[in-house]
Amino acid sequence: MTAHYLGVDLGSTTAKVVVLDEGGAIEAAEVVQMGAVSRKGCAQAMTTALDTAGLHRGDVTASIATGYGRRLVEDIDRTFTEITCHGRGAAAMCPGTRLVVDIGGQDSKAIALDDEGIVDNFAMNDRCASGTGRFFEVLARAIECEIDELAGLALQGDKDLEVSSMCATFAETELISMLAQGERREDIAASVHRAVATRTVGLIAQVGRRSPIVMTGGVARNAAAAHFLAEGMQAEVTVPESPQIIGAYGAALLARDGAGRAAVGAGETTTDAREPARSCNTCDLTLTMGGPR
Amino acid sequence: MTAAATDKLNRLAINKAGGKMVADYWEDVFLARERGQKVVWYNGSALNPIFQAAGMAWCHGEAFSARLAAQHLEGPAQLAGSEYGYVGELCSYARTHLGAAVLSQKRSAGSANGPGMVGLPEQEELASRLPTPDVFVNAYAGCSTGQQWDDISFRVFGKDVPIFNVSMPFFWSNHPGEGYMVGEEWERSSHYVADQLRELVPFLESITGKPFDWDAYRQNMAYIKKASELRQEAMKLCRHLPAPATFWDWIGNVAHINFLPANQDLVDFYTAVLAEVKQRVADGVGSVTSERYRVYFDGFMNWNHLGLLSRKFAAHDVAVVAGRYTHHAFWQEPQLIDPEGDVLLGQAQNNLLCPMNHSTKTIEELVLRDCDFYNVDGIVFHSTRTCRAFTNPQRIVAKGAQEKGLATLFFEGDIADASFYKDEVLESRLEAMLEGIDVRRARV
Repeated sequence: MTAHYLGVDLGSTTAKVVVLDEGGAIEAAEVVQMGAVSRKGCAQAMTTALDTAGLHRGDVTASIATGYGRRLVEDIDRTFTEITCHGRGAAAMCPGTRLVVDIGGQDSKAIALDDEGIVDNFAMNDRCASGTGRFFEVLARAIECEIDELAGLALQGDKDLEVSSMCATFAETELISMLAQGERREDIAASVHRAVATRTVGLIAQVGRRSPIVMTGGVARNAAAAHFLAEGMQAEVTVPESPQIIGAYGAALLARDGAGRAAVGAGETTTDAREPARSCNTCDLTLTMGGPR
Repeated sequence: MTAAATDKLNRLAINKAGGKMVADYWEDVFLARERGQKVVWYNGSALNPIFQAAGMAWCHGEAFSARLAAQHLEGPAQLAGSEYGYVGELCSYARTHLGAAVLSQKRSAGSANGPGMVGLPEQEELASRLPTPDVFVNAYAGCSTGQQWDDISFRVFGKDVPIFNVSMPFFWSNHPGEGYMVGEEWERSSHYVADQLRELVPFLESITGKPFDWDAYRQNMAYIKKASELRQEAMKLCRHLPAPATFWDWIGNVAHINFLPANQDLVDFYTAVLAEVKQRVADGVGSVTSERYRVYFDGFMNWNHLGLLSRKFAAHDVAVVAGRYTHHAFWQEPQLIDPEGDVLLGQAQNNLLCPMNHSTKTIEELVLRDCDFYNVDGIVFHSTRTCRAFTNPQRIVAKGAQEKGLATLFFEGDIADASFYKDEVLESRLEAMLEGIDVRRARV
């Protein structure tokens, strides 16, 4: 019987599911936008991914859930934190990765990996959404555009306006004030992206600067976010082809490693991040400071 | 956290009896005025053996704030402190205690039902029961807030209550040969503080109108020395696997060594603590029933969440085996006390050895030495939001720990303000740290 491994990442705004075959190749990957943590959205993502792979739930050999809502995922073997899963996923997707920057809907993380791709240290935002996807939603609402339009606007901005709020809610007031003062939407968008990058660099400082750097999570799909992070870091920042699924991919890899079948403890088999599942050639974007705009 | 998980916590039984000793102490303090005793409010260092020998009742500010927070009764006091004008982002020990001062002052002045927050019915609760002070004594090592705190307390009571301030030098340890309890700086500072304590004695005599009882003081210090030796011996036994007691147990009896009366009861209590710990070692009984990990706790106690945190770590099979707060703050160097000799010097030296009063280099050495001794897997840093003095060196200490291969995590919380703690943040980070430890173990 062929083995199949399921990884589920139930985040604050999206559910991501990855199915791997026995060799670790992705059979299916699904992302469902939920708006808020939802069992229904998660179940939908799981069903769709399994359908795409031509599988039933019973065909899954081992499964692992991660993300804020990981404890809500039903019929799963085990849970792991996003830290471990993003580290595992990024190290496999982009071999050699030493620093993972994961910016999701409501939190951001800097994950330092050792030379074997194992999590060495991590730091997370503490108490505000000002460096996360939620902040970009606030920006889009304030300057009246769609989320997908933000990157294009931000990359056209020239001015560096001060966005000082440490709170996404207060920041909205700040942005509206800028609009009232006649600032261009492009400049406001660029400034918000720069502010997010600055906070992310501060987070990275807590774990120590390393490279290569890989950016994961939903915000990594925003080319401007990656660009300003690269600018802030004065370093290359690589974005995998599907940055949103890296956590679920890492979870599925951990299931394949054997972590889904038994609790991992001293002396037991666990993560082997040394075996890359995919070539780094799949990364679709590598940005450097002053790179493409 | 499941109900079954909470059963993994196996607290020291003796602490339950110890809880009554603490409750009795506070009841005694609340009735000090009825007994005609003079009352001293003090912050920072444990000067209580001196106050005891002076025949006074003593109220330790932080201890009262911690007690209110641990009993979830801090709300009225913190509101009163805020209403008086103390900033919510600053020391929550101070805010809580200042609120208690406001409530006590109002109750004493017979205006308990006045307007505003302090007119809330809750003021009738514990927060307002402190007897008003006859004198303030401030002896705060390594903290910039203590003197400002007492300055505000002084104003709450109409600038009528005298203050004695003991200046506590910070240990810079910048010169060769200087460090923890060694060097010229150590010697100079020790005598500087001992001299001030000598001056404190006639000041207290002027308050009480009675001669200071030096014999009683020497006896108090002998009790403290013995109690501390017993406590230290019991703490060190937690090196055993499984750990017979944890940081939470030492928190559970920290009040005793910190401010309860120095007497035979105190010695008897720690004798019983040591006996229970020894018995657990002999029986192979742990404070966490299925210890798989052991960590060090760096940071002030989060008093609002003592029960939650102790159960949380146990539920994850984590023995929090020691901590900077419990192991480096309370008479932890009893050998310095010489009841028959220069007894004030040993008092001064122990008072100076506050875990916030050392250079970052020394703190790192102390913490990492403990980590070695207790053979921990990692350090949990409680980033104590309103105590910058304790939080200040933590990132640097964490780097040193990481270089030694220890896992680290930070979570934000506070000493007495519950609102700064977010459970999901710690839960996720703790899980991530333990996953990392598992991976490292599997790799070895």
